[in-house]
Amino acid sequence: MRTKRTQKLLSLLVMICLIPSSLAAMSAEEIIRKTDEMQTFDTAITEGELQITDRFGTKISTFIAWSRGSEESLIEFTSTAERGQKILRTVDSIYLYYPDAQELIRMQGAALRQGMLGSDVSYEDMTGDNDRLSQYEVVLDGEQVIGDRMCYKLSLTATTRSVPYPKETIWIDKEHFIVLKGEYSTKSGRLIKEIDVLETGRFDDLVLATTTRISDTMKADSQTLMIIRELQVNVPIDSRIFSLDELSW
Amino acid sequence: MKFLISLAFKNLTRYKRRTIITALAIAIGIAMYIFIDAMLMGAEYESVRNLKWYETASARILDDEYWEERYQYPLDLNISDPDPILERLEAEGITASKRIVFTGDMILSRAEFGEDGNIPVRVTAIDPSRDFDVFHFGDTLIEGRFLEEDEEAILIGSWFAEDIGASVGNWVTIITRGNGGFYEAIDLQIVGILNCPNPNVNRTLIMMPIKTADYYLAMDGAATEINIRLPDQAEVEQEIATIQGLLNGNGITVMSWETMAKDYLAIAEAKRGGTGMILFLIFIIAAVGISNTMLMAIFERIRELGMMRSLGMSDMKIRIAFMLEAAGIGLIGSTIGVIIGVIANYWIINVGIDFGFLMREMDIGYRIQSIFRGTWNPGTIAVAFFAGILISTVVAYLPTNRALKMDIPSCLRHQ
Repeated sequence: MRTKRTQKLLSLLVMICLIPSSLAAMSAEEIIRKTDEMQTFDTAITEGELQITDRFGTKISTFIAWSRGSEESLIEFTSTAERGQKILRTVDSIYLYYPDAQELIRMQGAALRQGMLGSDVSYEDMTGDNDRLSQYEVVLDGEQVIGDRMCYKLSLTATTRSVPYPKETIWIDKEHFIVLKGEYSTKSGRLIKEIDVLETGRFDDLVLATTTRISDTMKADSQTLMIIRELQVNVPIDSRIFSLDELSW
Repeated sequence: MKFLISLAFKNLTRYKRRTIITALAIAIGIAMYIFIDAMLMGAEYESVRNLKWYETASARILDDEYWEERYQYPLDLNISDPDPILERLEAEGITASKRIVFTGDMILSRAEFGEDGNIPVRVTAIDPSRDFDVFHFGDTLIEGRFLEEDEEAILIGSWFAEDIGASVGNWVTIITRGNGGFYEAIDLQIVGILNCPNPNVNRTLIMMPIKTADYYLAMDGAATEINIRLPDQAEVEQEIATIQGLLNGNGITVMSWETMAKDYLAIAEAKRGGTGMILFLIFIIAAVGISNTMLMAIFERIRELGMMRSLGMSDMKIRIAFMLEAAGIGLIGSTIGVIIGVIANYWIINVGIDFGFLMREMDIGYRIQSIFRGTWNPGTIAVAFFAGILISTVVAYLPTNRALKMDIPSCLRHQ
């Protein structure tokens, strides 16, 4: 009789101890919301480079990018071979500008799957908004260590056909809410793209991915490293920069 | 007049060598004209036939907005429920079949092809039980087998197979975007290789079963097009109006092969202009040859002409005699030319010339893979025959006239 009472008391004690941690635990939706929030700025100016490796070797292209919110951005390449080439992303379209030919191309359809400058980052990857919760059903699969960081592991299954990757598995850093690893698959579960954050860095109060490896798994011997050298957030940017009229100037 | 005809005939037989040489010049020109016209007409006829048999069919039903966006191959601009339409067409005795056309990247693996790589491709998903009633792929299989209804398999064109080093049994992966925009990867085995007589198709052809495509692309039974085969003698525009009436609009439209192949037909039209120019040049060469020979023939007989005038023969009769003689040469040349032309035509229609080495490497616009065959064109043969006689007669007029302007002593002294 006494033993039973002791057992009940112990159980109650354990439950009481667990209450704060379960109250503090975040749901899958909250993790996604927090991550999207952490990775979206009112405005940002980024300088960096793409190291594109394929079977012919490695090519380095440097760029400077201006962005506003999650839907507008302009990337201008500054490396010699691509100097002046620009990619403008507006709310609903992507445009390329080639200064030598003075030609403006709107990317659409199958062309969106092409790699930007032949990299593993497709133009498609630049589209879509950060409102993943309206497009995916999210499930928290638990926690896992990636590198030396504890991460949330989440599975996302598309609820709409309009997203490029119907299935995603992402690992989000518990501390800084950065996606440290991502696996992007087709409807039938075929892995077609992988993203791994190799290094993170601190910019003022922010911790962000500075070196990210992107691999199109359908391209053999191919990977792209995206390296962020400089980042300024919430700085004033002339809104005309995101207009089509300004693109060719 | 009888005397003049008799005189012209005697002159023809008297100067046998000149008659034969001049007639041969005419004959060669006329034979070339008939032969080249037959070859070019045949190439055009076969091109149009191959275009209809392997690319456009006689007509196509599409979503109203599809044609504007056709280069994007949009899956969302589709015919959502094609089966009732097919049933309605079948009830009217019209042969039709549905297709889904989409683009993607074909991934080739080192294990299968000796090298990793990817190429952009266009895939046509067909209904294996009906498609060959509309298109003529039924007799083009050179290796493997045809598709079955619901399998993860493809048929490819023989030139495409050569280009990627594929053979029956190889596996490929196609990365594409489904209806809505999501990515999908489909592993497909090559089960057959087709040798399509249309080079544009043979270079790029990839066919898969429509049921498999429907599943992977989430088409929910929709098709991007319904192709229609009409009898060769059918009035296409009239048939299209009838079909359009049957369909009652509903956001879909019917297009004739001529509308779909507008670019090809514009090029063919321009080519026809070029062909006309080639034939005109051949005609000029023949005409210059004839006139040159006639000039020589008349100038070497100016003394004879002077003698005829001094004996009291009128200028008009002399002119008629010479022109009749020229017409006689034209008649002989035209007859020989038509005979040679018809023999050459018979050969090019039944045997043809193999331009496969040229067509394999470049696209010159014709939808012919290798052998150019001719076609009979009785109109051209008749025109060539009468033109040969007429030109000979006309070109004899000027030198005769010039000779007749000379006084009789000058004619008689002419060397």
